[in-house]
Amino acid sequence: MKAKHIELVVNEKAYDMTVAVNRTLLEVLREDLNLTGTKFSCEDGECGACTVLLDGKVVRSCLTLAVDVRGRKVTTIDGLSQNGELHPLQAAFIEHGAIQCGFCTPGMILSAKALLDRHPHPTEEEVRTAIDGNICRCTGYTRIVKAILVASQKIPMVS
Amino acid sequence: MCSYSVVGKGISRVDVMEKATGAAQYTFDIRLPGMLYGKVLRSPYAHARIVHIDTSRAEHLKGVKALICGRDIPPRGLFHLGDQTLLATDKVRFVGEPVAAVAATDRDTADEALDLIEVDYEELPPLFDPEEAMAEGALLIHEKLGEYHRLMPWLHPIPGTNICHLTKLRRGDVEAGFREAYRVYENRFTTSMVQHCSLEPHVAVAAVGATGDITLYASTQSPFLVRERLSHVFQIPISKMRVIVPYVGGGFGAKSAVTTVEPIAVGLALKAQAPVKLQLDRSEEFTSTVVRHPTVINLKTGVSRDGKLLASKAKVIWDTGAYADDGPFVARWGGLTASGPYQIENVWNDSCCVYTNKAVAGAFRGFGCSQITWAHESQMDIIARDLGIDPLEIRLKNAVEEGATAAWGEKLHSVGLKASLRAAAEAIGWGKKLPPGTGMGIACMHKFTVALMSSAMVKVNDDGRVEVFKGSIEMGQGNNTIVTQIASEVIGVPVEQISVPEIDTRFSPYNGGTFGSRDTFMVGNAVRLAAEDARRQLLKAAAEMLKVPFEELRCEGGRVFSSENPAEGVYLAEIAYYSNASPAGPIIGKSGYSLKGIPFRGIPLDPETGQSERPAACWTYAAQAAEVTVDKDTGTVRILKLVAAHDVGRAINPTNCEQQIEGALVMGIGTTLYEELGLDAGRIVNPSFADYKVPRASDVPELVPIIIEAPHRDGPFGAKGVGEPGLAPTAAAIGNAICATTSVRLKDLPITPEKIFSEMKEREA
Repeated sequence: MKAKHIELVVNEKAYDMTVAVNRTLLEVLREDLNLTGTKFSCEDGECGACTVLLDGKVVRSCLTLAVDVRGRKVTTIDGLSQNGELHPLQAAFIEHGAIQCGFCTPGMILSAKALLDRHPHPTEEEVRTAIDGNICRCTGYTRIVKAILVASQKIPMVS
Repeated sequence: MCSYSVVGKGISRVDVMEKATGAAQYTFDIRLPGMLYGKVLRSPYAHARIVHIDTSRAEHLKGVKALICGRDIPPRGLFHLGDQTLLATDKVRFVGEPVAAVAATDRDTADEALDLIEVDYEELPPLFDPEEAMAEGALLIHEKLGEYHRLMPWLHPIPGTNICHLTKLRRGDVEAGFREAYRVYENRFTTSMVQHCSLEPHVAVAAVGATGDITLYASTQSPFLVRERLSHVFQIPISKMRVIVPYVGGGFGAKSAVTTVEPIAVGLALKAQAPVKLQLDRSEEFTSTVVRHPTVINLKTGVSRDGKLLASKAKVIWDTGAYADDGPFVARWGGLTASGPYQIENVWNDSCCVYTNKAVAGAFRGFGCSQITWAHESQMDIIARDLGIDPLEIRLKNAVEEGATAAWGEKLHSVGLKASLRAAAEAIGWGKKLPPGTGMGIACMHKFTVALMSSAMVKVNDDGRVEVFKGSIEMGQGNNTIVTQIASEVIGVPVEQISVPEIDTRFSPYNGGTFGSRDTFMVGNAVRLAAEDARRQLLKAAAEMLKVPFEELRCEGGRVFSSENPAEGVYLAEIAYYSNASPAGPIIGKSGYSLKGIPFRGIPLDPETGQSERPAACWTYAAQAAEVTVDKDTGTVRILKLVAAHDVGRAINPTNCEQQIEGALVMGIGTTLYEELGLDAGRIVNPSFADYKVPRASDVPELVPIIIEAPHRDGPFGAKGVGEPGLAPTAAAIGNAICATTSVRLKDLPITPEKIFSEMKEREA
């Protein structure tokens, strides 16, 4: 298999690596960078467990080839808390009981982050739509939606 | 009522920090040095004889390190009924059955190797319909049914048929009941084949040590069962078979039995003498792991003019697919409970577990309860409507209550059924005037809790931190939090000072398994007793240290002190340190737990009548109500509100109970309205999340979980489990609501818009 040299930034850390052209971003994150917070579940782009942000936008890392993200910025759950401080979404998920088995949580939080970054004060319906690509089989979603809304309320209103 | 400091509080779960940051480790995240990747070749046929397997080309592929097929494996049965080996030997009996497996340096090579294995099959006629499979003269899926080893003496296969188990329940004289009845109702209900859809697929990582000992990481609900079965299959002593279970990314029953994944991983690791990871992909999850039993449930109910149930006859057929797996257990419990949570003098049930050439059906959250509840609660609604009695009233009129005798002869205790019915009705606004096009339905249920046995150890470390060792799995249901609260309550240490290590059969005490809603009750009791033992040891050591009589000491706030003089005391850290040098040794409380005076599997059922004074640890009860609208032009159902009142005995953590109920309700919505594995000649046609719809966030209505507490005398602090019942009454509550607004009565799950629409059209015509 052909390999290519790529540079990419993951969670604000620069990496310089050679990867086979058929490997997905999900595989490279988990196997080469040991960032196992991003989950492997359907490899079909349907469940959202492997969601990461690419330059701030939601992508399915299982459908994204690693060589296609050269030079771009990747954010995974592993890099979301800064200096030991939880991201407000992580704190809200904890406080509002939005986590059960935890396997969907990383992808769910990143989908929510992408929403709040572009639209800080969404309606409940907008929150539900934003996470419709992320399957959770444990929680019934109610507390996840609540947690995202609570986190959004903590973002100051800009007039 | 006595008050507790931690029990009864909705504290935040203890594992959420790790899970929110992505740091939590699951089996899927395990990688060992030199690890190979396993892949499984599966049968393309529903029923065929294996004539020949040629593996030579695959074995010579570069990167292939091990290959196993039926002729290489120990011929020992995997599970309760020895009808299945880890790979097929002579025959394949469903599309997706493992036929051979390879381990290679990477997944692509393993995939390539599968393509090089040549299998000659001789196709056999398949059986897909369970009723045809039960017919006299049907071809046999298991010709040697009578010769299989039975792990449980009560397993009742009928040789010469496709019936792998039959449970009978007989009480009173059902025919006399029907003769006496004002009306008799006969209806046939069915349920679809559905999948658990845990987000973490089945996965196992097996490694062989220098002395032939095996270490297995597995995403399983039952590490001790897996250890025991693998030790049997591979003839390895239990102490050399170590099973480690990191966090489990959802189970819902799919991981509660030993599956083919763990033994194939071990078989490959033994052959390769290297660590092997076997992870299923999503389509294998759909096609080759256990499913929920499709059922055919025929109910006949005799009722007096005023709605009193006089006689109930149920013929339940559990379509268990190619192998028995947990099917006989599901059929057994379904056979006991099929007449519903009602007081009925005359009951007759036949609960039949039948082989077909389809995916294997096994444990699924609810363990049969969801299917039988769908049937008896739809039946109750049919009766109520026909007799002109309010559906809530007819249930209250017949519901079991404290001291009532169940159909299986048990005198019932801790019965919060009527309270649940009233609470659900009140919360949904039962009886209020509804806008046109809107309807309400109600349904209730009873569900057993499996007893078995559980044990625990509670250790106080030198820094005063307490570790709770137990054998139950944390798979999202919150068990680590529940045992933390129990230990905290008993020892008087803050929850922040308690940790719960991952399960490792080398260190963790035995548990029967994380299924059947049993861990809060059984493991909770073991932890309570072990914590009491640790507390006694702490007081004893402190009595020596402080020279104060044992009886005058109290253990609170992480400190033991004299009740006479609270300033005089020692911290747990000091006691633990002191104990290291004391003949009594380190502070390690321990206990096992099983029901007092009761066999650990419960009192056996009478084989002819199903009667048993105590078959289960306890019974839980619930009632749910739904408010829906139905689009008359399309048949599309919109659920406006779902209310669920569940008797949990006592809520150790009310928030946790609500979380369990909410999650189950949404799973219930999916299995009621759209979830169904479609089959074409035995092949599952929709094995992906694109084609098999599970509920998404936008599908979820307002959910109202309500906790009812009817404490159980044997439960830890009165608690019972609530993991499974949450989706059992959902289907009938929704179905009854649909009927209330459309007059359409659908008896087959799922209730799709197409079915509603065509029924509505038929009624109009």
